[in-house]
Amino acid sequence: MDFILQQVITGLSIGSILLLVALGLAIIYGSMGVINMAHGEFVMLGAYGAWALNSVFGLDLLSSLVFIFIGVGAFGWATERGVIRFLYARPLDTLLATWGIGVVLQQVIRLTAGGELRYVGMPEIFSGTVSILGVGVSSYRVFVFLFVAALFAATWALMFRTSFGTRLRAVVQDRNTAMCFGVNADKVYSLTFAYGAGLAGLAGALVAPLKSVSPEMGAAYVVDAFFVVVLGGVQSLFGTVASAALLGQMSGSLAYVSNDTIAKALVLLAIIVLIRFRPQGLFVTKVRS
Amino acid sequence: MTRVSLSPSRRSESVLNGRLQIAAYAAVCLLIFLVPLGIDDDFLLNRIARYLVLGMVAMALALSWGYAGILNLGQALSFGLGSYCMAMALKLRTVPVHTGSEGLPDFMVWNNVERLPLAWVPFQSMTFAIIAGILVPVLIAALLGWFMFRGRVTGVFVAIITLAALVVGNLLIIDLQSYTGGFNGITDLAQLELFGFEFDAYSASTYYLVATCLTVSLFACLAVTRSKAGLIFQAIRDDERRVRFFGYDVAAFKILAMSVSAAVAGLAGMLYTVVMEFASPTFLDVPLSLSIVIWCAVGGRQSLVGALIGAILIAGMQGALSESEAFLDSWTLVMGVTFVLVVLFLPNGLAGLVTLIRNRLAQSSRRSEGAALRPALAEVSASKTGDKS
Repeated sequence: MDFILQQVITGLSIGSILLLVALGLAIIYGSMGVINMAHGEFVMLGAYGAWALNSVFGLDLLSSLVFIFIGVGAFGWATERGVIRFLYARPLDTLLATWGIGVVLQQVIRLTAGGELRYVGMPEIFSGTVSILGVGVSSYRVFVFLFVAALFAATWALMFRTSFGTRLRAVVQDRNTAMCFGVNADKVYSLTFAYGAGLAGLAGALVAPLKSVSPEMGAAYVVDAFFVVVLGGVQSLFGTVASAALLGQMSGSLAYVSNDTIAKALVLLAIIVLIRFRPQGLFVTKVRS
Repeated sequence: MTRVSLSPSRRSESVLNGRLQIAAYAAVCLLIFLVPLGIDDDFLLNRIARYLVLGMVAMALALSWGYAGILNLGQALSFGLGSYCMAMALKLRTVPVHTGSEGLPDFMVWNNVERLPLAWVPFQSMTFAIIAGILVPVLIAALLGWFMFRGRVTGVFVAIITLAALVVGNLLIIDLQSYTGGFNGITDLAQLELFGFEFDAYSASTYYLVATCLTVSLFACLAVTRSKAGLIFQAIRDDERRVRFFGYDVAAFKILAMSVSAAVAGLAGMLYTVVMEFASPTFLDVPLSLSIVIWCAVGGRQSLVGALIGAILIAGMQGALSESEAFLDSWTLVMGVTFVLVVLFLPNGLAGLVTLIRNRLAQSSRRSEGAALRPALAEVSASKTGDKS
């Protein structure tokens, strides 16, 4: 029993990190149709932001989160204004252009902060473990889990309970009609992209204490995050949660049964099969085209 | 697409364009064959041969991406499989240190493998290896294509599925260490020997082998694009549903495009092993696969020779600059920026630039002839080739 619980908790922890990274992507891809390959680099920027704020200004991870969110968000806004808005008519090309942006970001970080691994300390208060039903879990992981849950709730509220969310959903449904009703579609899109980028930055800052920080760290996240989003269904926030949980549990338990590599290969194969039979995602019942 | 037009003068013009295209392709190939005459440095020749091989893969991608609209992010899978087939055959021709002739490859001994694995046995025949180097990638591409296109998976999902398939292949190759050499790949290979002729990687003979294969596959692909199937590929790229309504089996044509592309990529992979003298999991990793896409995009995704030249130029410059650390760093930066700019302003790459200039010239000459309606037609066809991806 303990063992199953242990597995479930490991899966939840992996899943929460997946969701954290995928949430920003889900918003950008789901509502704007932009395939943001630079998302992993936004995550990386967040992680480096945490490292820089900590080593230069001595800021604690928790207090630097706000700055990171705003900083990476602003960068995302600039990216949307400078490059992406010219590519809305060519969705596959957004994939190429944002990949180029990712390469540039990686290289800029490598040139400024250096290519070596960096480490970000865990916040003092979360350095211990807590016991959940008799299983010891790192309290930082519990904090990440709760933080992600709160972030998700905030995002949901933003999308469905604010006038900004209403405008965004209107633009997603029919850009021209929304514009006729006085919605500034350009502004909505650039803010949405900025919000998604900001979320990626937060993700980077939060995973920084768990993994080492390097210019290449983003690549691993972006692929996984894409699978989460595609699996969940591009326009469904709850689908994203469900698929993050599913993938987290799958990788957790498959890694236990066989080795890590085979687990990853099996998860990928499962995703290939799922996309083939449900390209609209697992958790979407109707799709507008 | 200009071929669709029916008026007699337009048709004769498109025939002329077609001849021009063949002439341009032949000129590029001739240039490639002339290179060794001017270069006496075997090391440099080996490097150029390497770029030619990479150009072949980019060209193969142009066929499936630029013509049939299939953005295959897993192109390196075909390439890597081809290179491993060749490496297995060449490895079996070496005399292992521990087990003597006819013995086990060294890395198998290190991994405590007792007998030659069954999958390796047929690779004792070079003919089998060469056939496998093309057929294995084709079969996998066809299987993947059948799986995707029969389910009418399109666009981004094709990109994601092919990418995932590539990652699976890469993980498996690394994980099956005792059969594939894992992270280290297959090293210390024998030299390729065909028809009693030895191909030393650092010699003009290997260069000519690569150049010949490149020319043959370039013209084979050109023939495909100019055939009826090639027209249907382009029609599928532009509007899949319309082609389906005409009664064509869209999935079958897409599978064909992906298979031909995989065959060329597999051949290129085999040559890569010969040129590099090893095979490694980096031959089928995600960065290489994305680089192929970039070469293709910068050179011109809708032009076979454009993609080829794009790959040779970019890989060549990268190779030339990689000698000094400082240059390499700034090079990556410049490359990234260039790439973004190309995507933004030159969706058809360098080849698109050529077409653009040619159209402008043709337009102005027509204007001076006083034909009033033609420029509008030319613009229509130019914009048609332009925006769709």
